[in-house]
Amino acid sequence: MKAEAKNEKGNGGNTPFTWVGKRVRRIDGPEKVTGELKYMTDYQYEDMVWGKVLRAKYPHARIKEIHVEKAKSLPGVIAVLTHKDIPGFNGFGIVVPDQPVLCSDVVRCTGDAVALVAAETSEIAEQALGLVDVEYELLEVVSDPEKAMGKTSPQLHPDGNIHSHVKIKNGNVEDAFQEADLIIENTFYSPRQMHAFIETEGGWGKMDEEGFITIKCPGQYAYRDRMQIARALAYNPERIRVISSPIGGAFGGKDEITVQIYLALLAMHTNGRPVKIHYSREESVVAGMKRHPFKVQMKTAVKKDGTLLANRVRAVGDTGAYASLGGAVIALAIEHSCGPYKIPNVDLEGFCVYTNNGIAGAFRGFGVNQVCMAIETHMDMIAEKLGIDPVEIRKKNVYHQGEVSSMGHVVKSSVGTHKTLEVAENCDLWKNREKYKAEASEPWKKRGVSLATSFHGIGMGIGLPDYGAASIELLPEGKFKVAVGCEEIGGGNSTVYAQVAAEMLKCDISNIVVVQGDTSQTLDGGTVTASRSTYTGGRAVATAAPNMVSLLTETAAEMTGVVMEKIEWLPNRIVAAGETISYKRLFDYLYEHRRKTKVEGHFMLPKEKEEIKGSGGAPHHLYGYLTHVVMVEVDTLTGETDVLRVVSIPDAGKVINPQGLEGQTEGGAVMGIGYTLFEDVLIEGGYHKTRNFTDYIIPTIRETPIIETFPVEEAEESGPFGAKGIGEVVMIPIIAAIMSAIYDATGARIKHLPATPERIYNAIKQLKEQEAQPAR
Amino acid sequence: MKPIRFTVNGSPREVNCHPSKTLLDVLREDLNLTASKECCGKGECGSCSILVDKEVICSCLVLAGQAEGMDITTCEGVGLTANMDIVQEAFVSEGATQCGYCTPGLIVSSRAFLNSIEHIPSVSEIKTALGGNLCRCTGYAKIIRAVETAAKHQLENKGKLSLR
Ligand code: FES
Ligand code: FES
Repeated sequence: MKAEAKNEKGNGGNTPFTWVGKRVRRIDGPEKVTGELKYMTDYQYEDMVWGKVLRAKYPHARIKEIHVEKAKSLPGVIAVLTHKDIPGFNGFGIVVPDQPVLCSDVVRCTGDAVALVAAETSEIAEQALGLVDVEYELLEVVSDPEKAMGKTSPQLHPDGNIHSHVKIKNGNVEDAFQEADLIIENTFYSPRQMHAFIETEGGWGKMDEEGFITIKCPGQYAYRDRMQIARALAYNPERIRVISSPIGGAFGGKDEITVQIYLALLAMHTNGRPVKIHYSREESVVAGMKRHPFKVQMKTAVKKDGTLLANRVRAVGDTGAYASLGGAVIALAIEHSCGPYKIPNVDLEGFCVYTNNGIAGAFRGFGVNQVCMAIETHMDMIAEKLGIDPVEIRKKNVYHQGEVSSMGHVVKSSVGTHKTLEVAENCDLWKNREKYKAEASEPWKKRGVSLATSFHGIGMGIGLPDYGAASIELLPEGKFKVAVGCEEIGGGNSTVYAQVAAEMLKCDISNIVVVQGDTSQTLDGGTVTASRSTYTGGRAVATAAPNMVSLLTETAAEMTGVVMEKIEWLPNRIVAAGETISYKRLFDYLYEHRRKTKVEGHFMLPKEKEEIKGSGGAPHHLYGYLTHVVMVEVDTLTGETDVLRVVSIPDAGKVINPQGLEGQTEGGAVMGIGYTLFEDVLIEGGYHKTRNFTDYIIPTIRETPIIETFPVEEAEESGPFGAKGIGEVVMIPIIAAIMSAIYDATGARIKHLPATPERIYNAIKQLKEQEAQPAR
Repeated sequence: MKPIRFTVNGSPREVNCHPSKTLLDVLREDLNLTASKECCGKGECGSCSILVDKEVICSCLVLAGQAEGMDITTCEGVGLTANMDIVQEAFVSEGATQCGYCTPGLIVSSRAFLNSIEHIPSVSEIKTALGGNLCRCTGYAKIIRAVETAAKHQLENKGKLSLR
């Protein structure tokens, strides 16, 4: 073969790329902008029935009796199910399946499911829910995570209220605190953010005459959803098909089981009729996962010259009633709690605690958001106190590739922090910040400009399997079907996969068809979480492609009798000794000879060999890095804050699609603005005070600042064409950057998010009162 | 039940349903026009936006009975993949859609806005026009650009028309 085939990492020497690195339009764009794309919740079936879930009436109560007779006898009701109707294991949960599918003895939050109903109409189903009579005995509600950790608190689970505890220790912090020239110590609180995906949880379940179950439900890992369904149903997973893509937004909130098991259970009782569940927003608010609220206590020691000496962290995360991924969230938080810096002495500790406050789970950033705001605020405070430039102090302390991180491990993969900081200090907003700050729109409005930097592990860390898989199949019409397990969650990985395939197969992108998230069509390639899907799925496609090239080259040689060396792999065609052979002809030949037209590619993610003791999975092999610069304007009379400009400087390795990357940096920045300034799901005594978008405000287009993206492309050797992940770090440093910018504007440090107008106003007022008092 | 009659995307339609069913459900369930989505059911998010005459309304807040005689345009009526409208083209080329669940509502609102102007709008005009449509994925920056691009193309097309 003459063509210089690129190897599976996509390194093809200096060949300019046709598709990779280009602003390729999203392949799913047209059907999305016309509304022709069918999401799972858009399907309709003539013979359908409606499913509904009965939620717990109280946040913490013992179930004495459940009476379903009345509900069952309501005309139009097809099935009423309780825990007694679960054939298999009554529980789910990605790590520890401690959440009952349907509660049997105790309810631990108002999102708990107690019964399921299937009925002819949604109104009848709703009515039937009201007829299920559950007798409860009320139990004391656990709402404060710190108190939950005490001995006197009611215990929500057999192992107590501390679901997990991680601890990392290096060096000697006590000695370092003695030696330090400056010590900063603070406590930070962060909110319970809602994913607020626009498509609420929902989907379809159907069982056919042979007992084969199909679940169509947006999710972030079809194979794991299938395993969890099979476990609850005591059913052969091979007899369950899960279709999980496309998704109308998820951000981690559809990583855990949402309604899949309910759908499967109901489908077993509807006589083959398809059953639909689609949550109202109100139900989604109560039943859906949220971001863990954290309390973070941090004590940081530093030398006069700005060298970080020690960091002590204690973080407590409220996971609500069930674990889901809570343990992993806390572990990741602790792994990232010292920022991308090298601090020789650390004492870090995190607790994941059960309460009756709804349920928390995976959410973009996965615990790093909550600790980044602490360490980066400290960096800002230290810089100010020592009179060092905020960029310089960071540059001084960041670790470089090959150096030892605060976790004590040598970072072997690419590290872009230093470069992102260089770009930051040279960007217009930073260089001319004094000028911009002077341009406030009103005399009572004050502007501030600040920056922050952070990082985020890519992939699963130690202890969890992490692999990618993809298949490429030549179709009858001569197109290539690229099938990857990772779902299209909105981030544009489908286009990335098509770009990688088109690049390596040297064909037009229109010749690529991408299929995702379907256990009957895609191989198990892990989750679409942990910023891993471009990196892992892309690399799997890049591994499969050369197998397709070999298959077709060999086939062409066999068809024509031309020796392999004379077969040329050219753009959109194969030429054998001057004769052009179309993909279609190759398909026909393979088909006539009853041969497979499908190849596979598998990829094991590189991992660190040694786990840091007590860390719960740290370190990661790979991290993505990002620096944010922001400008805010604070109305000092009301405390209202606008973010006016954002500069996002990611190190995502080689950028496969700049437009897709900007989609992430822009979407992440605005989600970070919402988190910092106004989002919080309020729960009091276990009851949600927040109900819908009327009282949970997410950023609208009015809040969109000017956002610039300047990627630093530190190629990561192990990734497809040098790419890394990006999906999460895009919303992290902006949080701390906004907090510091508010300080820069007003002199008020906000340590309790969201930084609502009220909190900012009060902080400014307090400041004024302090200033008015004569110094003692 | 008395049939309810209205026009959708240029065609007269007739449905038999409970008059208290929402127009959004009628479009989605009775007419299989599923571009319009339900996200909040409360008039807060705009993902159910449709055009009635020249106005953008939230179809989750309209009851089927009230739709009698209305002239309705949904996202499907703005354009389909075979004949995309310039605003849809611009959303694709500018990368203004991600998960896409909010997109049909934004397309409808953007089309209505473009129908009402004869100039290239300022960012603040766009923000006002689309302030009722929530999107959780994009951060809106590319949506703003897409509307600008579409406005430009609309003007160019009109310019061409006037030359004829
Ligand atoms: S669903 Fe109609 S405005 Fe949200
Ligand atoms: S593209 Fe996902 S909500 Fe707008």
